[in-house]
Amino acid sequence: MTVTNTRSVHTKSDANLSHKIEALLGGFRKLSRAATLKELAQQFDGIIRSNTTSSKVDLFYRAHRTAPWQRIVDSGDQNVERLLKIPRAKASWSSAFEKTKQFVLVQKLGDKSYIGMVLGRAKSGPGYSHDDAISARLFGNLFETAYQELLSLRHEKELVFSLNHRVLQLTSLIDTGIEISKIEQGALPHHLALERAASLTNASKGAVRVIEGENLLEEHFFPYRVPVGSRPRKGQVIRAHFSFAGRTYRFELHEKESRSGIQPFEETDQLLLDALARQVHASLENRFLHQQALEKQRIERDIAVAAAIQKRLLPTALPIIKGYDIAGVNIPSKWVGGDYYDCRPLPDGRFALIIADVAGKGVPAALLVSSLHAYLSAYLESQIPLDELARRLNKVIYHASPDDKFITAFIALLSPESGEVEFVNAGHNPAYLLRANNEILELPAKGLPLGMLDMDIPCDKDTITIGVGERLLLYTDGITEAANVDDVFYDIHSPLRDFVARHRPQSSSQFVSDLIKDISHFAGAAPQNDDITALYLHRTS
Amino acid sequence: MEQSFSLTSDVRNNCLVISTVGYVNNIGGEAIAKEFNRHFETGIKQVIINLGQSKVVNSIGMSFLIEIIEHLAEADGKLVFTNLDPAVDKMLAIMGLFKFAGKEPTVESALKYFSQKK
Repeated sequence: MTVTNTRSVHTKSDANLSHKIEALLGGFRKLSRAATLKELAQQFDGIIRSNTTSSKVDLFYRAHRTAPWQRIVDSGDQNVERLLKIPRAKASWSSAFEKTKQFVLVQKLGDKSYIGMVLGRAKSGPGYSHDDAISARLFGNLFETAYQELLSLRHEKELVFSLNHRVLQLTSLIDTGIEISKIEQGALPHHLALERAASLTNASKGAVRVIEGENLLEEHFFPYRVPVGSRPRKGQVIRAHFSFAGRTYRFELHEKESRSGIQPFEETDQLLLDALARQVHASLENRFLHQQALEKQRIERDIAVAAAIQKRLLPTALPIIKGYDIAGVNIPSKWVGGDYYDCRPLPDGRFALIIADVAGKGVPAALLVSSLHAYLSAYLESQIPLDELARRLNKVIYHASPDDKFITAFIALLSPESGEVEFVNAGHNPAYLLRANNEILELPAKGLPLGMLDMDIPCDKDTITIGVGERLLLYTDGITEAANVDDVFYDIHSPLRDFVARHRPQSSSQFVSDLIKDISHFAGAAPQNDDITALYLHRTS
Repeated sequence: MEQSFSLTSDVRNNCLVISTVGYVNNIGGEAIAKEFNRHFETGIKQVIINLGQSKVVNSIGMSFLIEIIEHLAEADGKLVFTNLDPAVDKMLAIMGLFKFAGKEPTVESALKYFSQKK
């Protein structure tokens, strides 16, 4: 009987325990599905109601020991939170119950926050017992475990978000670099970089300023027209800058955002801003180099056109002058130069011999040669006196050219039968006349170059006579100033005057050819920096 | 140029359409979430967010969008993004938003998508 009674008690007790375990497991399954604290509290409220005799349930949450209690499940009872007592420092829970009236439990949670539970008057029976207190404790532990699960889930989500964000930052850094390098001319890579930097670092705003010396050339804000503060708090701003082509680009980002407010920027934020600034710098440099390459191509095309035009101004063949042998040469340098020579018959039977050199090189020089050619043709046709021709040329060249452009010229009019040569030397190298007695007569400049000053008489005219066997050399400074690899001029090493005296070949073309060979031999591997031009006249009979 | 944030919204065929202008950051994301919650509480479960005038989104703004997606998923609802700038599209993809939200080229095509779903 005793045994039977004992069995009966055991069976009832086992069933009770089994029921409680089932309730615990079921409760845990429900709590584990909660995605937020509020959901967790709502589920917990249901579990408590179905497993206790309580008529009312109030749940509270406290973020930390000194934070205020927040009611998360409200039964409508006022001021019940005053019953909640924080457990002692080393305790994880505290509870108190007053038979039939209230049951209070405060459970410390894993993140040092607290859940507080106040159960109102028991619906029936003798009220709360020690068994109820133990059950409530078990449910409190259950809540704590589920809360830990919730924190782990939240932490896992934050970790995934953070990892994705890092991938986003790296991908965006690469993409932005590509976008900046592809950005069209006229678009502003520093604006794009500022937008991306703000987005990737969670800055709430930013600015980029372009400064040249003391002058602020540009100030761009992100978001558009939202100015940044001039006195940001420490840690709430990061900056990066670089200088290029005399301009400084200054980037700054303000106020790193978070869901809980503004927070200090991190080291990686600074690295990102620096990297984006470097990308803009590289992009501007590449653009600059690209523009330079395009400009160089354009100039080379222009020069090629100018060189072709200039070449057409030079004679393809020189006229035959009875009793004379004449030859000329023009070897243009890489760049368009300003050398010019010609020999043309005049209506009165004389011949005009011209050699000229425009100061400077390139297209402007070529244009001036073209002007000289046109004016010279017109004036020679009109057969005006040589000094008047020089005066007029000086005037028109002066007005047609910039201040730093002028022309040195040697213009001679040869009367073939008499050998008389009327000439003007406007600032040009002296011509050499090799006399029959082997003496060299220099025909130096007697006036300023054409177009240098607005004077009425730029130079005097002179007259000489070329006898039979005598030779006249006109040349430009491309010959005398031809340099070798040691930067020594041809005329210093081997004076042209001596070459003229020594070399007296049968034909003028041979003389010209020998002269060019001699210069070439002297210069060696040194590049030709200027046009080489010469006109050689030999009176043969 | 990215402006300061603003939004407009309307409900079409029981579908909330939120159109944003400017930087979707903390302020922008919060404003979108607030507008969403206001309608969600009335039973709206189909939402379109038109980001056509928002070329820049940061991760704080995205966290609000993720919350909206989660709320809708719990309620068997759905969020569809439209008019995405390629850079924003890529950002949302990397952050995994399209695992649970849709995207359509325009608001009209998103409305059509929802009407066919019914």
